[in-house]
Amino acid sequence: MSVQALGRRWLARHSVAPSDQRSAMLLLTPMMLVLLAVAVFPVLYSFWTSLFDIHLTRMNSVSFVGLGNYIQTFRDPMFWAAVERTAWFTVVSVLAIMVIATLMALLLNQEFPGRRILSTALLIPWAIPYVVDGLMWKWIYDSGYGALNGLLLQLGVIGQYMVWLGDTHKTLALICNAFVWKEVPLATILLLVTMKSIPSDLYAAARVDGANLWSRFVHVTLPAMRPGFMLVMIYEAMMAVRHFDLFFILTEGGPADASHVLSWHIYVETFRNLSFGTGAAVAYVLALATFAMSYAIIRLLGKRL
Amino acid sequence: MAQIEFQQVGKQYANGHVALDNLNLQIKDKEFLVLLGPSGCGKSTTLNMIAGLEEVTQGSLRFDDVEVNALPAHRRDVAMVFQSYALYPHKNVYDNIAFGLRMRKYPQQEIDARVRKAAQSLEIEHLLDRRPGQLSGGQRQRVALGRAMVRQPAVFLMDEPLSNLDAALRVSMRASIKALHQSMQTTFVYVTHDQAEALTLADRIVVMRQGVVQQIGSPDDIYERPANKFVANFLGSPPINFIDGVLMQGERGLHFRSGDLSLALDDETQRLLAGCSGRAVSAGIRAEDIDEHGESTDCSLTGDIASLLPVGSDQFIGLQCLGQSMFFRVGKELSCKVGERVSLSINRRRLHLFDQASGVNLKAQNA
Amino acid sequence: MSSSLLFKRLALLAGSIVMLLYVLAPVAWLLSSSLQREADITSIPPHWIPHPPTLSSFKAIVAASTGTAPDDGNAAFIPSTAQYLLPALRNSLVVAAAVVLLNLLVSVPAAYAMAKIRYIGRDLSVYFMLATRVIPDIALVVPFFLFVRKLGLLDSVGSLIITYLAITVPFSVFMLLSYFESLPDELDKAARVDGCSRIQALLKVFLPLAVPSLVAVIMFTFLTSWNEFLFALMFTQTAASQTVPIIVASFTSDFTTSFSFINAAGVVAIVPPVIIAVVFERYIVSGLTAGAVKG
Repeated sequence: MSVQALGRRWLARHSVAPSDQRSAMLLLTPMMLVLLAVAVFPVLYSFWTSLFDIHLTRMNSVSFVGLGNYIQTFRDPMFWAAVERTAWFTVVSVLAIMVIATLMALLLNQEFPGRRILSTALLIPWAIPYVVDGLMWKWIYDSGYGALNGLLLQLGVIGQYMVWLGDTHKTLALICNAFVWKEVPLATILLLVTMKSIPSDLYAAARVDGANLWSRFVHVTLPAMRPGFMLVMIYEAMMAVRHFDLFFILTEGGPADASHVLSWHIYVETFRNLSFGTGAAVAYVLALATFAMSYAIIRLLGKRL
Repeated sequence: MAQIEFQQVGKQYANGHVALDNLNLQIKDKEFLVLLGPSGCGKSTTLNMIAGLEEVTQGSLRFDDVEVNALPAHRRDVAMVFQSYALYPHKNVYDNIAFGLRMRKYPQQEIDARVRKAAQSLEIEHLLDRRPGQLSGGQRQRVALGRAMVRQPAVFLMDEPLSNLDAALRVSMRASIKALHQSMQTTFVYVTHDQAEALTLADRIVVMRQGVVQQIGSPDDIYERPANKFVANFLGSPPINFIDGVLMQGERGLHFRSGDLSLALDDETQRLLAGCSGRAVSAGIRAEDIDEHGESTDCSLTGDIASLLPVGSDQFIGLQCLGQSMFFRVGKELSCKVGERVSLSINRRRLHLFDQASGVNLKAQNA
Repeated sequence: MSSSLLFKRLALLAGSIVMLLYVLAPVAWLLSSSLQREADITSIPPHWIPHPPTLSSFKAIVAASTGTAPDDGNAAFIPSTAQYLLPALRNSLVVAAAVVLLNLLVSVPAAYAMAKIRYIGRDLSVYFMLATRVIPDIALVVPFFLFVRKLGLLDSVGSLIITYLAITVPFSVFMLLSYFESLPDELDKAARVDGCSRIQALLKVFLPLAVPSLVAVIMFTFLTSWNEFLFALMFTQTAASQTVPIIVASFTSDFTTSFSFINAAGVVAIVPPVIIAVVFERYIVSGLTAGAVKG
């Protein structure tokens, strides 16, 4: 049987019209071209790079090291320190985002005049670039002239200006704050949409059953929001783990490596140490960690998605 | 295009589900064919195949004896009315109706003439500027009809077009569709699960069940001579009453026996079923097959009246007999009360007999 | 009953004020700082409200890009890269516009095919598309860099356009896909019976109906392109291609820069995205969730 006829039989068995298959292929081609050339190739090439000892200054002596870069990474204490910081940053950020976004979503779920103004205002942090977000908070945190110092001084909380970003105990938390502030709007919108899809009948039934505000929240809202919570948590966790921009703008990994997280580690390794091989290896470890994390969250929060 | 033919057409999905099994059907030019059956029987699949919206997995679908399996939908000369009307929400009524003609590059004047004529006959001229969102269900349905009409296609397909309408509108629309068929003189293929609709509209009915054709015939054929128990049960309201029993040879010839009940058969039946003595059968008695003026006692049912429902000029009797509930329709003159014990004489010429195992109509089989 | 209602109203009011403060206060301070003189905002504690407001920082931005020195004595505090801010605005605009356009051309057909056509490889293509976004951008910079360099596109807006296209297409397709899926299948069937090929059905029936989703895609794509930092950092070297985030970032690393100037630059940088987000606000939600069809 000719290849053509075999093909037609295969299509027929899957109940696909040949003209449909042709149309679909045509419509998909632009996207496939873009993704294959500009997304798949870099991903594969990047992995390939991680298997070699590549240094930008010694491009003539590139040697294959297999998993050597990965082993080196796992032996590097700087790497593990970065992992720890990244984990702290991610956990704290996600928690803060979830709490604040839930509160805001609850608020916006109510009907009251001026609600529209609030939801519009909410978009502003979301719309601005991380660069400006960083610049803005850097100015607020400034130890010499910043608004945080000024406000606390005026309120009498502190007696004199303090160091904020420069204080290694506070650095990560402050970056966290800048990150959370900008991520909250999207999380709020996503949670709000989930909230709005809860049928009001459920609340009415709960009222008739005698549930007060808190009980209604715990027994109607929270269970129905499970899939929404999970989605937002996974998304924000992924964003936190990979985040780079603020670490560049605010602290460049410092002071004294206080904010030297995984993404910064990759940057330094690749673009300052110019060791492409190890940089790529760490990046892939990060990618795997992201996968694992999403999987863990899904399992933890239940199978319902 | 004069003829549509399905030759051993089958349709399977990738997961193994069989939607159509060995369909052989010749649709005659200009006839009103109804595909009837419960949901999942394959009737919509068959319709979609004619339109080119579903793929033929096995067999050959032919228009005028040319295989069209691979011909895409937009190149076939069919028009279709969908169950949900599927009107384009962003276009007004005029553009909705004109769309198909525009896609086929008809001249503007011709389009305008056809659209207005169709709108006139459907009494929707005053709605031409409106959007579907502003119309009632009945109006949308007429726009959907108009869209199909103006194409003047070789085949007119309708997929349960009346099921979303309220009861009164449904009845009047049935008449309109029948009239439309007369005036358009085109082949109509109509899908429905409503047996009353099928009986009123069809020239021929194809009864289907789980992808298999049960019977093809005129409404009269299907109703009077159902090929099997399924068809007998599907058509007729209230549904046919079944009694399981045996055919036995007695002093007065072949008769039906179930427990204490004995029903005598007429001569024609006895002749046809001569070799079936001892066969396990199901007797089928339609609700209206009561012989009201007969006084024969050898073919009658005796039981207690469980319910009595007057319906206009008749009344429905719910009879408890032989441990099962049966429903019959009798005239008002028969006066009785709930709880009373009555004897209803059966019209023996209209008694159906089906093989208990296969469900096949024995009289039709042996005719 | 009315006292609990009053309580509820007060609680809502209090909550609203807190939320409004949280969301807007930092930006308000950014704006306020940009409208004050350096001396006022560097006093201890700073002047919270501009009194009087001054546009001198903004004037300095304009002056810097036209090459003239500002006239208020702050010349020493203008960063050397200030002159590139306005050209950067132009670059950002060009890149964002190009990416939006190309994105639509690529994503819309793909999303329609995935949503409405039954073809072999459909599920695979959806997973593939989503999977391209799992690897963090950091990991992709080196190969992208080499790829772009090989094409000779380093330090040109072209490199950014290609890159941003790759990172925005999956999300666009995803949004359009769920929107198309929410449109009734029977519309597609009706269009085909009316004589439309698949492509014609897309253009004449589905595209007009997908406007809310299209607007959402345009918005997300524009914002992502405008705000992107990492790849722009890697691929651009001179003002010929540098975008707004890069120039603004260069200000913060220059320690002699006046704060009011930096803040003014920040304000300039956020005006386009904020305007777009506010104007198209209602499309954000409908873009994130499958929309409903009216009529």
